[in-house]
Amino acid sequence: MNDGEYVIQARDLVKTYTVGKRRVEALRGIDVSLAPGEFAVLLGPSGAGKTTTLNLVGCLDLPTSGDLTVAGHPISGNGARPTEAALDLLRRQHIGFIFADFNLLLTLTAMENVQVPLIWRDATAPGRARQLLERVGLAHRLTHRPDELSGGEMQRVAVARALINQPDLLLADEPTANLDTRTRDEILELLAELSTEGVAVLLATHDHELADRADTVLRIEDGVIADD
Amino acid sequence: MSWTAIALKNLWRRPVRSVLTLAGVAVAVAMLFNLLEFQRGYERGLRGELGDLGAHIMIVPRGCPYEAATIVLHGGKWPRYMEQSWYDIVKQTDGIEATTAIIMDAIIRDGGRENIIYMGIDDDYPKLRASWSYAGGGWFPADDSAILGSSVAARMGLEVGDTMTIEDGSRVAATPVKIGGVLKRTSTQDDGLVFLPRETLQRIFNLQGKLVVILVKLHDVTKTDEVASALRQASADADAGMNVFPLSELLNTLTALLSSTKVFVLAIVVVALVIGGVGVLTTILMAVFERTREIGMMKAMGAGRLDVFRLVWLETLMSTFAGGLLGVLVALLSGRGVVAVMRHVLPHTPADFTIGFTAETLWVCIGVSVALGMLAGTYPAWRAASISPIEAIRGGSA
Repeated sequence: MNDGEYVIQARDLVKTYTVGKRRVEALRGIDVSLAPGEFAVLLGPSGAGKTTTLNLVGCLDLPTSGDLTVAGHPISGNGARPTEAALDLLRRQHIGFIFADFNLLLTLTAMENVQVPLIWRDATAPGRARQLLERVGLAHRLTHRPDELSGGEMQRVAVARALINQPDLLLADEPTANLDTRTRDEILELLAELSTEGVAVLLATHDHELADRADTVLRIEDGVIADD
Repeated sequence: MSWTAIALKNLWRRPVRSVLTLAGVAVAVAMLFNLLEFQRGYERGLRGELGDLGAHIMIVPRGCPYEAATIVLHGGKWPRYMEQSWYDIVKQTDGIEATTAIIMDAIIRDGGRENIIYMGIDDDYPKLRASWSYAGGGWFPADDSAILGSSVAARMGLEVGDTMTIEDGSRVAATPVKIGGVLKRTSTQDDGLVFLPRETLQRIFNLQGKLVVILVKLHDVTKTDEVASALRQASADADAGMNVFPLSELLNTLTALLSSTKVFVLAIVVVALVIGGVGVLTTILMAVFERTREIGMMKAMGAGRLDVFRLVWLETLMSTFAGGLLGVLVALLSGRGVVAVMRHVLPHTPADFTIGFTAETLWVCIGVSVALGMLAGTYPAWRAASISPIEAIRGGSA
C-alpha cells in the first residue's frame, strides 16, 4: 500500500443475493472511503447491510458490481478479478477481524489463540503475541483458555489476534454486543488508540452511543448510506 | 503454535471419541501385523525344523507325503509302513552322504491325556542330528535301553540309570528299558521323544521289518532333484512303494498351503481396515461439522483452502498413525497369546514358532495406517476446505 492511499475505497458497491426465487438487494450502491488511522463507525439497524459491507471490504465476498480497492489491491471494477488465493493472502497480510462472539479456539490458550493467524504463514511470534496481550491488559492471562476468561478478556484476546499480522485495516462486527458498558468502553478506547497508530478501523454497530467515539460515522439503512 | 500442535489439540478436544476411533484402526493394524508376522514366523519355524532334521530327502510309504511329514515332525500314530529291505535300496543309491531308517509308534494313556512317542533309530541317526548333545549318559549302552528327550525326561522324572516300563496293557507287553542317556534341550520335536534302538522298538511293538521313514542327507544339495529321481527309479525297479520327496518341496508346499489361508485372513483384515477407515472418516467429518464456525473464522483470518485441507488432513493422519502404532504395540503384546491359540488350532506348528517383530512388517503397518488416514481424511478435509467463511461465521453448516 502506498502512502496517501485510502485503505478502503469503495464506489457504488452493489450486492444482491438470490434467496430461493427472490432477489434480495443487500447493498444498493454504497460509497466508503477509509484513510489510514481513521476510525469509522458503520451505524445502522439489524438488516441494514452492515455485515454485508464488512464482508465486501474484508474480502470475504465479492460485490455484484461497483469499484472496490482494499489496501491498494483492486478487488472489483476496472476488470479486477482476484483469485480466491489472492483474497486469502490479502486478508492474511492487511486485514484483522473482530467478531461479536469472539470466535476464539476453545482448546487454545490466549497466547496460542493470538498466534493462530501466523500458522498459515508457517511462522510463530511468541514475543509479539505476548506484547500484544500485555498491550490489551492481559499479561496475567497468557496461559488461560477462553473458558477461564471473562467476555471482555476474550474480546481483548480477539483484538490481539486481529493485530498479530500488523494489519492496515481492522474490521469489527458488533465487537461490544456481548459486553457490559465498562468493558465496552475499554474495548472502544483500545480501538481508538489503535487508529491513532495508523490502523484504519471500521466498526459496524447498531449502538448509537458508539458513534460518539468515531472520526467518521456512516449511517446505513436498507443497503444505502445516508448523508450525515 | 505449529500445525501439529493445533491438530493435536483439536483431536484432544473430544478424547473419548478420538481414542475410540484410534482403537478401531489399532485393532485392524494389530490383525495385519499378526498376520504378516505369523506367516513369517511360521515359515521361519518350519524352515528351521526341517533344517534340524538334517536331511535333504525324506522317504515315506505311499500315501499323502504331507500327512506323513506332519506326523514325522509332530509325532503321531503312523498310518502305514515301509519294508526294511527298501532301506538297502536307498543305501545303494549314489550321491548319499548319510541315511537313516526310522520306525515310530506311540502309546496313549489316560484316555489320550498322556501320549508317549517312541522312535526307533540306528547308529546313523546322530549323524543327521548336529544339535544332539547329552545332559547325561550317552548312546544306547544295550539293546534294552532308551535315550530320552529333555522334556519327556523332565515330565516323567527319569534320569540316566533309571528304568522305565513300556506297556499299553494290550498290544504291547510290559518291557522294562534302562535309561542310557538324556538329551540336552534341542528345541525340536526330539525333546518330546523316547528313543529306542530300532530293532528293540520293532520287537516291542511287533513291527519287525517295518519302517516309517528314511531320511537321506546328500553330499551335494544342488543334486537333490537328481538323487530324488534316482531313488524314485530304484523304487519303481524294485516294485517298492517308496514316496520320495525333497524337503525343500515339502517346505514350498506347506508354505503355499499357508499362503492360501493367508488370503482369506487378509480379506478379513481388509474389512477391518475399511471399517476402521470409515470410523475415522465419520469422526473427522463430525468434527468438521462441529467446527464449521471456527474454520470459517480461520478462513476470515487468511487461511486458504489448502491450509484448512492440510490441517484436517493432518488431524486424520495423526489419528491413524497413532492407531497404527498402538496396533503394533497390541500385536506385540498379544503375540504369545496368538501363538498359543495357533498351536491349539493348527494340526502342526513348528516348535520354535513365534510371532516376532521385523522392521519390514512395522513399516508395512505404519504405511497402511498412513495410507488409511490419507484416504479417510480426504473427504472431510475437502468439506472443511470448501466451507464458506461468511456462511460459517453467520452460523451455517459445512
